[in-house]
Amino acid sequence: MDMRLYLICNRFEALVASQLCPEDFGAYLATGPLRQTTGEGEVLFIEIDQDKVGEPFDLEWARRHCVPHSDGSPKRSKYLSIYRVLEHIPMEAYGTLHMTTRDGRVLGVDHTDKPIPANGGTPANMYMELSPIKPLVVSCLQPAEFIQLLTDFSNPIHVPKLFMADMLVDTEPDGHLAAYLPYPNREHIEDCLRQVTSKGGKATKIVNRNPARGGFFRTIRRGFFLGDQTQVLYYPFPDKDTLDEYHHKWWRSASLGW
Amino acid sequence: MTHLPACLRPIACVPLPVVLLLVLLFLLPGSAPGQDAASELFEADPERTLPWWWFFAPLSAFLALFSAFLFYRSIMKQSEGNERMKEIASYVREGAYAYLRRQYYVVGIFFAVVFVLLLLISLGLHVQHYLVAFAFLTGGFFSGLAGFFGMKTATSSAARTARAAEQSLDSGLRVAFRAGSVMGLTVVGLALLDNTMWFFYLYMVHHHLLGVEPMNLETIAMVMLCFGIGASSQALFARVGGGIFTKAADVGADLVGKVEAGIPEDDPRNPATIADNVGDNVGDVAGMGADLYESYSGAILASSALGVAAAAGMGLGVNEVFSYMVAPALLAAVGIAASVIGIMTVRGREDATMGALLKSLDRGIHVASALVIIGAIGVVWALGLPWSVLFAIIIGLVLGILIGKGTERATAAEYRPTRNIAEQSSTGPATLIIAGIAEGMLSVWIPILAVCGGMLLAFGISGGFTDVLPGLYGIGIAAVGMLSTLGLTLATDAYGPVSDNAGGIAEMADMPKHVRERTDMLDALGNTTAAIGKGFAIGSAALTALALLASYVEAVRVGMHRETAAAYVTPAEDRPYAVHDLGYGKFGIYIPGSDGVADHNKLYTFSAIETRNQHSRRMEVTDGPRSGETVDLVIAEMGNRARMAEISDIDGTMLAEYRATLKDFMYFYDITLTNPRVLVGVFLGVLMVFMFSSLTMMAVGRAASSMVNEVRRQFREKTGIMLGTEKPDYERCVAISTAGAQREMVLPSVLALSVPILTGLLLDVGGVMGLLVGTLTAGFAVAVFMANSGGAWDNAKKYVEAGNLGGKGSDAHKATVVGDTVGDPFKDTSGPSLNILIKLTSIVSIVVAGLVVKYSPTISQFLGMG
Repeated sequence: MDMRLYLICNRFEALVASQLCPEDFGAYLATGPLRQTTGEGEVLFIEIDQDKVGEPFDLEWARRHCVPHSDGSPKRSKYLSIYRVLEHIPMEAYGTLHMTTRDGRVLGVDHTDKPIPANGGTPANMYMELSPIKPLVVSCLQPAEFIQLLTDFSNPIHVPKLFMADMLVDTEPDGHLAAYLPYPNREHIEDCLRQVTSKGGKATKIVNRNPARGGFFRTIRRGFFLGDQTQVLYYPFPDKDTLDEYHHKWWRSASLGW
Repeated sequence: MTHLPACLRPIACVPLPVVLLLVLLFLLPGSAPGQDAASELFEADPERTLPWWWFFAPLSAFLALFSAFLFYRSIMKQSEGNERMKEIASYVREGAYAYLRRQYYVVGIFFAVVFVLLLLISLGLHVQHYLVAFAFLTGGFFSGLAGFFGMKTATSSAARTARAAEQSLDSGLRVAFRAGSVMGLTVVGLALLDNTMWFFYLYMVHHHLLGVEPMNLETIAMVMLCFGIGASSQALFARVGGGIFTKAADVGADLVGKVEAGIPEDDPRNPATIADNVGDNVGDVAGMGADLYESYSGAILASSALGVAAAAGMGLGVNEVFSYMVAPALLAAVGIAASVIGIMTVRGREDATMGALLKSLDRGIHVASALVIIGAIGVVWALGLPWSVLFAIIIGLVLGILIGKGTERATAAEYRPTRNIAEQSSTGPATLIIAGIAEGMLSVWIPILAVCGGMLLAFGISGGFTDVLPGLYGIGIAAVGMLSTLGLTLATDAYGPVSDNAGGIAEMADMPKHVRERTDMLDALGNTTAAIGKGFAIGSAALTALALLASYVEAVRVGMHRETAAAYVTPAEDRPYAVHDLGYGKFGIYIPGSDGVADHNKLYTFSAIETRNQHSRRMEVTDGPRSGETVDLVIAEMGNRARMAEISDIDGTMLAEYRATLKDFMYFYDITLTNPRVLVGVFLGVLMVFMFSSLTMMAVGRAASSMVNEVRRQFREKTGIMLGTEKPDYERCVAISTAGAQREMVLPSVLALSVPILTGLLLDVGGVMGLLVGTLTAGFAVAVFMANSGGAWDNAKKYVEAGNLGGKGSDAHKATVVGDTVGDPFKDTSGPSLNILIKLTSIVSIVVAGLVVKYSPTISQFLGMG
């Protein structure tokens, strides 16, 4: 049983060594060590290339401790680091992003070199920042521009790296948010959108510093973005037809709404 | 058959036994309508014949059962799919059988006890006919049998529906709908078979077999009216137990599986998911089937009894009395044939939308309704009945459609009420609950006004405003009309759980997307028809209970007669009669020589009650406390034979003319709103509705808690369940729901069965009438309110889940989930159980009417209540 490295990158940051495959690791994280029904909710984690992860992490220590249990069962998790992990992993080490639902179903997506698609004609974008900070913001900037801005050291408000999701922000012809969007406090979001789209307005505006995540997966628009000043990785989110056709079980769990 | 022209193919489909039976019918000795077919009814000669047209009723019953068998066989010829599909289907089937085994065990004990009690009150206390005890068994047996066949078919059809949907939407629709049809046709077939079988026995066989006097039609009608108790008791257990089972499983599966564990619907990792699927069948197939079996059977029996009373009351001849009595069964028979044809017309095209599928079902119902009207014209003409009977049938059919549409309007997301409720979800669960309760209360106006209008129309058109009994007969016929197409309407109801389960199997067996889309479409259609079916069940229950309420006075009349006959006094040799004072204003008048053979004295005995002078005949009391006095009497005769006895000394020839009318009974028992007994009865009826609702709802809460704890335990102890490496213990969840249902239904059942008896014994006939009125009016309103509120909350959730008001994951969605959970026991347990309560209260009151008539006055006097 080989050791794998996973970066848990929502709710909290942690680099974890495990002998579980991504599907089992996701299920383990979502449903808890005793498989109790009150799991931690949806989980995002990224596979990390051990050969490219670099110096800051003691992989030898991990390999010594990440061994099967006495009954032969695989070691589920050995935490290597739990603080400021994202910033210390080089961009080239990031592999497949795994999206885990509350009931432990896992869907992996790889980052792509394809260009980031346009935002579908919406006046602005909404980003759910996932790591290392977690506010919900609206912005007239495109994902790469937004990450550039947020990771710019010359900017007093900055982070070394940013992992975020691009969220649906469709509007009706009357300017109100589309009816199918589950966001609370819709008027406030609409007000924030007006602020970033009006002439001379702000480029970004925080909507909520600690947002709820109801129906999280079904509100993802283009996908996930991870980047710094040097590079932005784009993890495209499959369209609904693809999800329903090829990943039906995952999509049913993901769109359950709890 | 392919060489036949298309127009002849349906004829060729008619099974050989049916053809043979038809031929046999025409060869049978008998007479045509209008001839003196039943002229010997009141003769001492026990050699009776039945007119050939009567056999149309049992023939239709066989036709229904044979069609059901053909449908069942055609379903079973279909493939059940791959191994996974078979495995899942077998879990549901085994769960359903486990439930039924336990249910029938409990019901068996109950039936044994009640059988003994019925024998006791008939043979020991002489207040009921002893055959009621046996008919109680057959009614319960046939109702249970219908439930068993329905469940067997439904649980065998779900996987086949999913498999057929793989080929085409039409194939899926046909399998699912035919599975529902098996239930519908089995219910109407067995109910009509039970009815006609007993009639045949009582009319043709009983006197030969036991060497007793042949029963006259009034006696047969009243004895058979009591036969409804068997079907009612079975319905009580099936509906209440089924309702508790299904919601305990559903709520348990949702609260832990969906809310806590985030597992979607129909996921095999949820230990309660099989119990949930079993519950769909238990509630909407066995429960609904038993409920409507009771309504169907009750409506026919009550109408027959009212028909005999009405025809005799109008002074009609024996032929007409016979026609009035058997007309309900013949109209039901017409309905069966119409339903079979209607079922054949239901088809769906491959590119069909939801609307098109619904239209297809509607087409079946409209075709069947039109055929019933045409058939009813034939029946009315052939039997020489007044045309008002036809209009009453039409009123019943229209009522059924109106109530169904009213339910659809109150619960479908396309209409304002459900949208209003859904919009309240944006401000949280509290406002959503308030809106649901308010809309549910408001929605009651359509069915109540429809029933009121239908009742007045059927009553008035049948001449009720000048003569009450024909009017009441019209109301009974309207109930029969409404239920005439039950074979088809029940098919649309029972189709729901089959398509729902098929959707579940398609999900659990990882079937391709196009199959899931088709089963989803069939399921969505089932949700709509289920809501309409619930409305239909409530409406028909109300109308049946109304007919039973009207029949109650006839039961009191018979009870009085039995009391009189049991206290036989031999007349002195020099007197043509003996008048015995039974106390409390009741008298027995005995004709010499009437104490011979069994049943003989009943036929030559009159019961009498004190009444208003304008109806009275003065007679001298020859026996008892008031011996020697002269009293005002009116004859409540049962024995039409007495007319043949020529007892002119006691004005015997005038007996039929001055027989006690309903108003006389109202007067005798002081059934007025100023009588506190009546008012207390009304209040008790209302109280019973609320108590019963509360008990069933609390039962769901407790049973659901057990289920929640069990599912949590399994997740905790079986760590591989969530990973899909370990199989959940489905059987344990089914067992918990079953045990919960059986345990929890005891108290509501005891309440429903005991209150009418206790009320009667303590508050006399007036109290019972009040109780029946209170139960019927409050029960009908509360049942509609609960069913519509629950249905609207359910659809408000689906409306939000469809992407409105934020869709899944929004706060609005969470609020609607709360509403749906609250509404679950409303619409699937307490609401439907009230259908049973309002009918059961009536039928229990009817069965124990003799007990009440005999003992209530004594108890009242003992309690100082006069």
